[in-house]
Amino acid sequence: MARLTIDGVARTFSDVRAVDDVSIGVGEGEFFTLLGPSGCGKTTLLRMVAGFCELDSGRILLGEQRIDTLPPHQRNTGMVFQNYAVFPHLTVGDNVAYGLRARKVRSEEIRERVARALKLVQLEGYAARRPHQLSGGQLQRVAIARAVIIEPHVLLLDEPLSNLDAKLRVEMRGEIRRLQKLLGITVLYVTHDQEEALAVSDRIAVMRAGRIEQIATPRAIYEQPATPFVAGFIGTTNLLEGSLGRRDGDLAEIAFAGTVIRVNYAQGRPGDAIVVSLRPEALRLLAPGEAILPGWATLTGTLGEVEYLGPVTRCVVALADGAQLHVMALAPPAISGAATLAFDPRRVVVMGAPS
Amino acid sequence: MRLFVARNAFALTVGTITMVFLGLFFLRPVLKVFDASVLDASGSSFTASNYVNILSNRFFMTGFANSLTIAAAAAVSSVLVGVPFAFCLARLPIGGKAALVALAALPLVLPSFVGAYALVLLLGRAGVLTGLLQSIGIPFDSIYGAKGITVVYALTLYPYVVLPVTAAFKLVDASVEEAAQNLGSSRARVLRTVTLPLVLPSILAGALLVFIEALENFGVPFVLAEDQTILSVEAYKLFVGETTDNPAAAGVLGVLLVGCAAAALLVQRLILSRHHYATGPRRSATVLRVSPVLRRLGATYCWIVVGAAIVPFAVVVVISFMQFHGPVLHVGWSIDNFTQLFQRSYRPLTNTLLLATLAACGSMLIGVPIGYVVARHRSRVSALIDVVATLPFAVAGTVLGIGLVMVYSSGFLILTGTWAIMVLAYMVRKLPFSVRSAGAILQQIDPSLEEASINLGVPPALTFWRITMPLMLGGIAGGFVLTFVTVASELSATIVLYSGPWTTMTVAMFQALEGTSPGIAAAAATVLIICTLVPLALVYRLLLRHELSML
Repeated sequence: MARLTIDGVARTFSDVRAVDDVSIGVGEGEFFTLLGPSGCGKTTLLRMVAGFCELDSGRILLGEQRIDTLPPHQRNTGMVFQNYAVFPHLTVGDNVAYGLRARKVRSEEIRERVARALKLVQLEGYAARRPHQLSGGQLQRVAIARAVIIEPHVLLLDEPLSNLDAKLRVEMRGEIRRLQKLLGITVLYVTHDQEEALAVSDRIAVMRAGRIEQIATPRAIYEQPATPFVAGFIGTTNLLEGSLGRRDGDLAEIAFAGTVIRVNYAQGRPGDAIVVSLRPEALRLLAPGEAILPGWATLTGTLGEVEYLGPVTRCVVALADGAQLHVMALAPPAISGAATLAFDPRRVVVMGAPS
Repeated sequence: MRLFVARNAFALTVGTITMVFLGLFFLRPVLKVFDASVLDASGSSFTASNYVNILSNRFFMTGFANSLTIAAAAAVSSVLVGVPFAFCLARLPIGGKAALVALAALPLVLPSFVGAYALVLLLGRAGVLTGLLQSIGIPFDSIYGAKGITVVYALTLYPYVVLPVTAAFKLVDASVEEAAQNLGSSRARVLRTVTLPLVLPSILAGALLVFIEALENFGVPFVLAEDQTILSVEAYKLFVGETTDNPAAAGVLGVLLVGCAAAALLVQRLILSRHHYATGPRRSATVLRVSPVLRRLGATYCWIVVGAAIVPFAVVVVISFMQFHGPVLHVGWSIDNFTQLFQRSYRPLTNTLLLATLAACGSMLIGVPIGYVVARHRSRVSALIDVVATLPFAVAGTVLGIGLVMVYSSGFLILTGTWAIMVLAYMVRKLPFSVRSAGAILQQIDPSLEEASINLGVPPALTFWRITMPLMLGGIAGGFVLTFVTVASELSATIVLYSGPWTTMTVAMFQALEGTSPGIAAAAATVLIICTLVPLALVYRLLLRHELSML
């Protein structure tokens, strides 16, 4: 177990900057997730840590030791592959023992540790089975057992759940998290599934086109996205353009969609273009005659599409300037035509407009 | 960085060995043949007169035209036989498909000139059926000449069309066809406007392979051509010299043969490299629901084709156990033919087994690393190796043999007349196959398996030994056996290269054909068929898994 430091790492494939000057520090025992759309460089970054991808520049350190100059088999990073990569010609037990044999561990100790590892992933009694006799979820457990048994400095997981069906995915992610806490292991986890990332991570790095957009806790990523991209990629949101008005200390006037609110926003100068993010669940569609809560702001428009989804109802409200706002309501609206949306200004996220 | 250097060092080493091997035993002989074709009698100055002589010679130009026409006819008839066959196999609910596939692939590994000889035994002048047909008044044309040769090619080479086209039919995305039906096309129209265009590249690629194989084949025209001139046979005759040997003229014919085959190979590769329909998520093609009549019709067709291709070989085996008096067949069982065949010595048989084993070992030793580099290292070096390793396919066995004899009869390395020159020729000829089969096996092994092993602390070289090799073993064993059996029935290079003590079974059969001992020839053919079938049966399960991806 050690602290993983990725320092100014970059890699270009022909003319694409796959990883572009990325720096990340993963703490000891931390569950750290690289999240982003496909092609954002997250897997490349993971493979750099494992040693399967060369660095053009930058360094990777485990504790104080530089590892990017080591060949991959000397790095002691346990990797779980997207397609499991369970050796088809070896039994489950031999698969799990593989890394220990490479480390010349005594055979009695191997037997003991394999049994313990299989128990850990709930595959007791499967040691003699062949991989082709196992289901996808079981193969996944073998891959995890095989990776953690070598007591790696850092456990690398490359979209480990993407080949499982939805229900199993939810179950396995909980199990991976439980195992990680139990072993106190440092984890670098790659996924494109935002829900998965929010559910398991201590911290998340959102990546886009080879660069880091934001590193923060799941809650901060969702509630205080640093860029419009992060706000749009994690969950659904309404992104509206506006401008910065007068400021009074940290309190700034924000003008957007025909309304002006005052929020905490310490950056920028009057007149700067900004983007606001308003989550659908932060908007309240007022019923006829319903009073506005003190301190809340309003927007007016016309109710459009209404989709009843069971627990919630999704509505679309068109504002006067043509912007379409998604609204999440707990019950289908009782109105039609003109609609008033109320929101708490404190739930508005203001971001500098991308240049 | 070290990993990168090590990987490239491996690719470069393999590349260097490939280039040296092919340079010495492929390029040099072929260039020598080319040299011979453009040098004058003294061998010192450039001349175009050899070409002028040949190209103005009606005899050879007829041969050239014959060769091209027959090869083209073979390609077309293979397509006509093979495409419906492939469609039935891939898309109709007919029974016994596994057996059909195995039997359909069989002619590729059986010696084609044995098939030709079977035709002679059945329908030749003294054929078993000839008399029968004539006696019941069915007018029967001669099977000698272009017609007979084309029939034999169609029946022995159609698997070159069937195998890739069956795979292509299976790869057609079912939803594409459904979309066409949904848009108002009848099933027949879907087949014509969607399915066939999608498999067309595979059809063309298969047809060109048939064309190349037919162009360079030596044994079949030797058995069936009679007075028709065929390039590969004439090149051999000119070189071995029934009257006087004439390397210049043999060289010109060789260059013509290689040129045509190389052009066809180039077109084939172009077609395959543009074959990029297979992308995106897909649903595998469905087996069509058809009326029982149609289903039975399809099954009958397939079994007739397979039967027509296999039965001649069975007939040869049966006939080999019958008595001959001179050229005339008598009813009555005996093993006289075999006794006579092995009367003088068993050497032809042991030679065949020994040389085929050596050649198969050599092919795997050199082919597997090349296949590994081509499949696993995407670089300019590996792309170049890939192309170069395919080239031997375009060179007729007779031409390669002639070149090898020209180069290695004198100088610092004298190989002519030894077993080594035969093994080297086989290795060169089978190289495209062994490289491709190794590559096909590797494509089934996900690179992440190797990465997982390295990640767990096993260095790359040891990982290759512990993970890659065991996983490739089944495929390599299959490839080994397929190489063995095709070498065992190789004739076109052997006939140029063999010397007395290194007579093989194919040569023994060839000599028996030249003389008038059909019984011995049939016995030799039977021995060859056994040499092919027994090893295949031993690894049948392995082949079932890998064969389709290899051929």
